[in-house]
Amino acid sequence: MHIPDGLLDPITTIVLWIVTITIMVLGYFRMGKMFEKEDSEKMIPYIGVLAAIIFAFQFVNYPVPGGTSGHLVGGTLVAIILGPWASVIVLFLILVIQSLFGDGGITALGANAFNMGIIGGIVGFYLVMLFVKILNNTSLKKELKVTIATAIGSYIAIVLASFICGIEIGISGTIPIEIAVPAMVFWHILIGIGEAIISALIVFYIYKTKPDFITTESILKVK
Amino acid sequence: MGAIKKYKWPLITILTIFAALMFVIAVGFTIGFLSDNPDGLERVLIDYNGEEWLENLFSPWIPFLSWITNEYVAGIIGIVLSISVLTGTFYLITRLKKRKLS
Repeated sequence: MHIPDGLLDPITTIVLWIVTITIMVLGYFRMGKMFEKEDSEKMIPYIGVLAAIIFAFQFVNYPVPGGTSGHLVGGTLVAIILGPWASVIVLFLILVIQSLFGDGGITALGANAFNMGIIGGIVGFYLVMLFVKILNNTSLKKELKVTIATAIGSYIAIVLASFICGIEIGISGTIPIEIAVPAMVFWHILIGIGEAIISALIVFYIYKTKPDFITTESILKVK
Repeated sequence: MGAIKKYKWPLITILTIFAALMFVIAVGFTIGFLSDNPDGLERVLIDYNGEEWLENLFSPWIPFLSWITNEYVAGIIGIVLSISVLTGTFYLITRLKKRKLS
């Protein structure tokens, strides 16, 4: 879903840059108390590791039926681990590094961070929160509730991001909107399955091995 | 020495995951389960405008790491860059937030 340079018109590009920068600045101030704790420096190497995992998984494409491929976006996954506001900054920086390799455009960074960081991260996180709330009515174990909610939330977030991406392409006049939106959503309904499985497995693994690394547990209100 | 002791486990985790990621990428490229097919957005653009159109989109710059054509090498450099940039940025964020508190 990495938008290359030259695809979006200048107005769409500038508007998405402004929205993304505003949310990142807001994100810095709202990132929570996690980075103000006495031993918060100990989290930093793990954030580096998380970034490496997201980069590597975004780098490798798994096959999807119909002659296309998909890769992890990871916005919701990062948001579950570090919080929704920090996830936008993490995704933006990863996208900057990827653009150095020509994967996603430099002028389209605002749009890519909007789709993958803000929709994938912030919206995805609140979707997970909603599904955790629903699953709290069941007798499932804590880790299973978060894992299932992550799978559903990240799936919906990726399809929603593709919908928004289709609108951006349509507004820019690259492809008529009535073609761009259904086509993007169709492919990402398939691609999203991979996103859901990978995100859920990583969250489940962390819950089993190092649950305190899920820093948003109190916000998610898992019972 | 003290710093190394303090960050022993995070550093071990970084090295272990780095090695694991390298292994996954290497195995993926070797046995070919990773796909070279276009992703969702590329597929939509190719279906409507053609592959040549996509390749000729105007870009205001040449990505300065795009000369690395070997995907395995690009993967290693990208992972190292990601760890460095993200660790550096969040170190600064933590310092700034703590300074503000004190």
